[in-house]
Amino acid sequence: MLAFIARRMLGTVAVLFAITLLVFAIFFLTPGVDPARQLAGRNPNPETMVLIRHQYGLDRPLPVRYLILMKKLFVTRDLTSYSNQGVKVMPEIVSAAPVTLSLVFGAAVIWVVVSIAMGLAAAVLKGTLFDPLLMIIALIGISMPVFWLGEVMNLITQNRLHGTFLFSWVPPLGYTPLTGDPWMWFKQLVIPWLTLSVLYIGFYARVLRANILETENEDYVRTARSKGISERRVLLRHQLRTSLITFVSLFGLDFGALVGGGALLTEVVFGLPGVGLLTFQSLHNLDLPVIMATVVYGAFFIVFANALVDIAYAWLDPRVRPA
Amino acid sequence: MSQIVVEETTPQDGVKEQVAGRSPWALAGRRLLRDRLAIAALVLFLLIVLVSFAAPLYADHVAHTDPFVNNLNGTTVINGKRVPILQQGGGVLKLGETPIGPTWHGNYFLGADNQGRDVMSRVLYGGRSSLLVGVGSALIACLAATIVGLLAGFFGGITDGILSRLMDLIWAFPVFLLAISVGTVLLTAPNGLALGPIHIQAQSLWLPTLIIGGVYVPYVARPIRGAVLSVREKEFIEAATALGASNWRLMFREILPNVISTVIVLLPLMIATTILTESALSYLSIGVQPPNASWGTVIDDGQQLLYTRPIVAIAPGVMIVLTVLALNVLGDGVRDALDPRAKLRIGK
Amino acid sequence: MRNRSFLSFTTLVAVVLLATSCGGGSGSSNSSGAGSSSGGGRGGTLTLLANSNWGPADPAKNYTLQEWQLLIITYDGLVQFRSTGGAAGTELLPDLATEIPKPTNGGKTYAFTLRPGIKFSDGTPLKASDFVTVMTRQFTVPGPANGFYGGIVGADACLKNAASCDLTKGVVADDAAGTVTFNLTAPDPEFLYKLSLPFAFAVPGNTSLKDLGNNPPPGTGPYMWKSYDPQHEAVLVRNPSFKVWNADTQPDGMVDEIDYKFGLTVEAEVTQVENGQADWVFDPPPSDRLNELSTQYADQVHVNPLTAEYYFALNVNIPPFDNQKARQAINFAADRSAYVKIYGGPSLAVPTCQVLPPNFPGYKPYCPYTTNPGDGVWHGPDLAKAKQLVAESGTKGAKVSVVGTTDEVGKAIAQQMVNDLNAIGYKASAKLLAGGIQYGYIQNSDNNVQVGYSQWYQDYPAASDFLNVLFGCPGFHPHSDASPNISGFCDKTIQAEMDAALTLGETDPTAANEQWAKIDAEVTDQAPMVQLFNPKLIDFVSKRVKGYAWSPQWYMLFSHLSVK
Repeated sequence: MLAFIARRMLGTVAVLFAITLLVFAIFFLTPGVDPARQLAGRNPNPETMVLIRHQYGLDRPLPVRYLILMKKLFVTRDLTSYSNQGVKVMPEIVSAAPVTLSLVFGAAVIWVVVSIAMGLAAAVLKGTLFDPLLMIIALIGISMPVFWLGEVMNLITQNRLHGTFLFSWVPPLGYTPLTGDPWMWFKQLVIPWLTLSVLYIGFYARVLRANILETENEDYVRTARSKGISERRVLLRHQLRTSLITFVSLFGLDFGALVGGGALLTEVVFGLPGVGLLTFQSLHNLDLPVIMATVVYGAFFIVFANALVDIAYAWLDPRVRPA
Repeated sequence: MSQIVVEETTPQDGVKEQVAGRSPWALAGRRLLRDRLAIAALVLFLLIVLVSFAAPLYADHVAHTDPFVNNLNGTTVINGKRVPILQQGGGVLKLGETPIGPTWHGNYFLGADNQGRDVMSRVLYGGRSSLLVGVGSALIACLAATIVGLLAGFFGGITDGILSRLMDLIWAFPVFLLAISVGTVLLTAPNGLALGPIHIQAQSLWLPTLIIGGVYVPYVARPIRGAVLSVREKEFIEAATALGASNWRLMFREILPNVISTVIVLLPLMIATTILTESALSYLSIGVQPPNASWGTVIDDGQQLLYTRPIVAIAPGVMIVLTVLALNVLGDGVRDALDPRAKLRIGK
Repeated sequence: MRNRSFLSFTTLVAVVLLATSCGGGSGSSNSSGAGSSSGGGRGGTLTLLANSNWGPADPAKNYTLQEWQLLIITYDGLVQFRSTGGAAGTELLPDLATEIPKPTNGGKTYAFTLRPGIKFSDGTPLKASDFVTVMTRQFTVPGPANGFYGGIVGADACLKNAASCDLTKGVVADDAAGTVTFNLTAPDPEFLYKLSLPFAFAVPGNTSLKDLGNNPPPGTGPYMWKSYDPQHEAVLVRNPSFKVWNADTQPDGMVDEIDYKFGLTVEAEVTQVENGQADWVFDPPPSDRLNELSTQYADQVHVNPLTAEYYFALNVNIPPFDNQKARQAINFAADRSAYVKIYGGPSLAVPTCQVLPPNFPGYKPYCPYTTNPGDGVWHGPDLAKAKQLVAESGTKGAKVSVVGTTDEVGKAIAQQMVNDLNAIGYKASAKLLAGGIQYGYIQNSDNNVQVGYSQWYQDYPAASDFLNVLFGCPGFHPHSDASPNISGFCDKTIQAEMDAALTLGETDPTAANEQWAKIDAEVTDQAPMVQLFNPKLIDFVSKRVKGYAWSPQWYMLFSHLSVK
C-alpha cells in the first residue's frame, strides 16, 4: 500500500513538472508578444528595452530562463508579474485563494445536500411521475452554461427584481473577506454559490439515483430486506452508503478541479477576485509568471485530488491496487 | 470539466430482450425508437440544426438585413412609423445610444445589438457556428480518442505508458485553462496556426474546433482504453490470435467493432459538452472570432446590454440550453438502447 | 500619452516656448475655471473606485494617469501645472522652485532656486541634491520614459550602463545655496514640460535607486501615502509636514483621507456611487448605464472634452495602403457618425478628419474627407469619391486585415472599419486581441499589420506630441514593439517642416503653431491614418461631492473635492 502511495505521489510530481514545461513551451515558443515590452512600461526607448531584457534575463537561452522562472517560483518565491510590475505572484495567489475556496466550499455544501435529497427522492419515487420530473430538472441543470445562468441571475437580482423584497438584500457584485464582515461575505456569495452548484446538483443527483437503483439487486440488499429491516433503514444504511462511494470519489475530483481554477467562469461573471479570475486576467495579458503560477497551482489541486481518489479507491477496493 | 462515469447497472425495466437472430445494431435501433423521450429530443435537435442552417434564408427573406454588417445609422418600421435602430439617450445630457428592442415582426424580431445588427439572425447564424464547432470537435475528440484508446489498450506496455501519461498531463491541465491558453496564443501568433502545409487563419472556425477537440481527447480515451482492455481478454480474440491474425486485423476487425458502441454512446454527450465549452470560450472572446458569430459571442455582445436589452443575452442562452438538453436526453436514450447493461455517463 | 490609464511617448523634440507661455510669478488667486463648482467644507473621507490598480506605485516607474492624479497631490516638481479647473490648467507655474528660469547657454542650461522651508512627509527638509537622486533613478529603476531626460549631460552613459550612472555634471546641486542647475547636451524647449511630469517629482535624496515596488517614498504634497495594496486599496492621509506655499500649484486638500479601492466591476462601481457608498468612478461607465445617468443623475455627471483621438493607423509600407489614393479612399468611406454612435453618441464624441484635436495649440479645423468639404467639419461619407479613388489606385479586391481590440467599443469599431472597407471593394476581416497585447502587436512592423486600431491622448499641450510622435520619422522603429508611429509614416519633406516648426517654437510660438496647422493639413492629406473622433470624458461623482474641478492636464483634481 505504502509503495503504491509513494509511486502515485512520484507520478504526481512528474506530471506537475511536465505541465510547467508545457506552459513554458506554449508561451515562449510563440512569437507575437515581447515580454520586455510589457516590463518596460509604455513606449520605452530601445536602450531601456535592452536594459530590461538583461535585468530580467530575457536575453538568456531558453533552458536558463526556464530554470530561473522555476527557481523564482519554487525556491525564492519572489516571482513578480510582468504586466503588474512590483506585484509578487505568490502573495497574489495566496490572497486570491480564499475567494475561490469560499466560492467552491459554499457551492459544494449546497450541491451535496440538494443532490443527495434529489437523488434519494428520485430513487424512492421510481415508478411515479416525480422520478422522471426530477431527472429532467437535473438534466436542465446540467445543460445550462454556467456563465449564462450567472448573467441571468445578475439580471434578476441586481436589476429587474432588485427593487422588490425578494432580492433587495443582494449587495453589489464583489467579494468581502469572511474575516472583515461575515454577513456581507455570505450575502455576496449566495447567488454565486447557487449558480455554481446548479450543474453539480443535476449531475450528482443523476449519478446517485443510478447507483442506488443499481444496488437494488445486490445480495446484501436482498439479505437485509429478507431479515425484515425497514425499507427506510435499507435505503439509508445500505443502499445510500454503498452508492456514496462513487459520489465521494467524484466529489473529490470536482472539488479539486474547481479549487484549481475550474470556477473561472463563475468568478468572471460575478467579479469575484479568485484564482480563476486571476488566471483569466493573466492569460488576457499574456502575463507569463502569473499564468505559470496559477496553472501549476490549479494542476496541483487536480493531480492531488486524482491521486487522493486513486489511493482511497485502492484502500477501499484491493482489486484496483496494481501488483 | 467533464467526467465519464462507467457504472454497471441492470437493464431497463420492461425492456426484456427476447428477440433472437437480429443484429445487435437493429436491436438497439428498435429500442431507441421505442424511447419516446429520446425521439422527441432527436426531433428537437434536428429542428435546431435545420433552423440554424436556414439562417441565411431567414436573414435574406424574413429579416432583410445582413447580421454581419453594422447598421448604426439604419432605421426600421414599427407601427407604420420609421424609427432609428439606435436611439440617443434622454435627459439634458443625451448620453449613450440604446439599440432598439424586440419588434416582434420580421425585421429586428428580437431587436438589435449595440452595433445595430438583427439579433434573431445572429442567433440563427450563431447556432450554425456553435453546432459546426460542437459537432466537429466532438468528432475529432472521439476519433483521436479511439485511436489512442485502441493503441494504448491493445499494445499495453510502453505504448500504453507513454499515451496514458500524455493523457494524464492533459487531464491535469484544467480544461478551460488549456483551451484559453492555446486559444490566446494562437490568436496572437501573426499568421494563425501553421501545421506544415495546412494553414489555419485566426478567424477560421477550425481553430476553436481543433482546440476543443484536442482538450477532450483524454476524457473519451480513458473509457475506450478500458473497453479495449476488457475485450482483449475475450476468447474470440484468443481464437483470432491463434489463427494468426495480424495486430492490425485484430485491432480494427475484431476489437474496434466491439468498442465502437462505447464511442457512439459517448458522441451525443460529447457534443453537448463541446457546445457548452465553445460557448464559454466565445463568451471570453477567445472562441469563435468575428465575422463569425456563435451563441457564446452573441451572449458576450448581450452582456453589455444586459440591463437595457436583456433579450440579446437571453435568447442565445435559451438555444444552448435546448440544444444541450436535447443532446443529453438523446445520449441517455442511445446509451440505454445500445448498451443496456453498462451505463456510461458524461456530465459538466 | 496613449490612453487614460497608460500614457506613452518616445523621442520628443520641443515645440512650445514654455518661458513665454508661463506667468513666471506666483499669483495667489486660485481661479476657478470653467469646470469648477462651489466648494464645501474640510474633512471627511473621499472614496474612489477603479476596476483595476495602476501597477507599480514608484513615481519613477508609474506611467498611468490613474496614479498621476494621486502623485500630483502627494509630490511636487520644480514646476507644476496650475491646479485649477478650465483652460488655465494648461499653464505651467513654479512649484518647488521660486520662479521659472529662462534657459541660458543657448537653451542648454536651466537654473532653479528652491523655495526654503519645504519638508517631506517624514520631516526631512527638501534639498537641491534630492534632484540628483530623482534623475539618477530614471535610469537605475529604470523609468519607462527615461528618454525624456536623455538630454541631460551624462544621461546617454546612464542609458547604456545604469550601474555606473553619474549625473553630477548634468544635475548640479548646491544644497547650501538651494540651487539646482540642469545642463543639457542640446537645447530642449520642452524640458520644463518634462520636469512637470511625476517622474521628475522630488523624493528624499537617500531614496533607494532601485524600484520601490508598492512602497512610494515620502513626498511634499498635502497628502502622503499610508498604504498601497494593489489587490485592494490605496490610502492617502494628510501630510503633517505640509504648509501651503503656493495655492496655485499645490493648494491644501479639502478631505482628510482618500481611499482608492480596486476590484469591483464597473457596473457595481456605478451602482455604489448612485447609492452614495462611494464618491467617484475611474472607469468609463458601461454603455447600458449611460441613459440612466443622463436622465436620473444628470447633476452628478460632468462631461469634458479630451484632447485625444481615436483612429486607425494605415500601414504605409505594405499594400494596399502604401498607395495614397487607397488611403484617401478609406478616409472618404469611413462613416464617422457610426463610430461616434459606438462610443456613446454625439454627446460623447465629435467626428474629426485631422490629427490635432480641437482647442489644442496649432488646431485649425480641416476635413477634406467628407461630403461638402470646405468648412472643416465632417458631414458624411462620400462613397462615390471613395470608390473612384479605389479604382484609380488599382487596389480593388485587396485583402485587408483590421487588428482591433476585444473590448466592447474596440470590437464594434473594428467591425465598422471592416464594413467601411468592404463597402468600397476590399476584402476585409477583423482580428481582435486583448488591449494590453494589441498595442505592442500593431506597432511591430514584423507583424505586418495593415490597419491597426489605436488611441492617443496628449502628454502635454504641444502639437508635436501628436504630429511628431505619431507621424514623424523619430517615432518609427522597425521590428520593435515600441514604435508609436504605427503607420510607419516617414515623409522627408514633412519631417523637415516639423523640425523647423520645433526650432521656430523656441522663439515665436504663434508662428510655430501656424506652421503646425499647415503640417496637420499636410499629414491629413497624406492620410497615413483614418481619424475617427475626439472623445469626451464622463466623471460621475456622488451627490455629496462639492468643488468639482477639471483640468485639461490632470482631469479631475482630487484635492479640490470636498465631501462635507
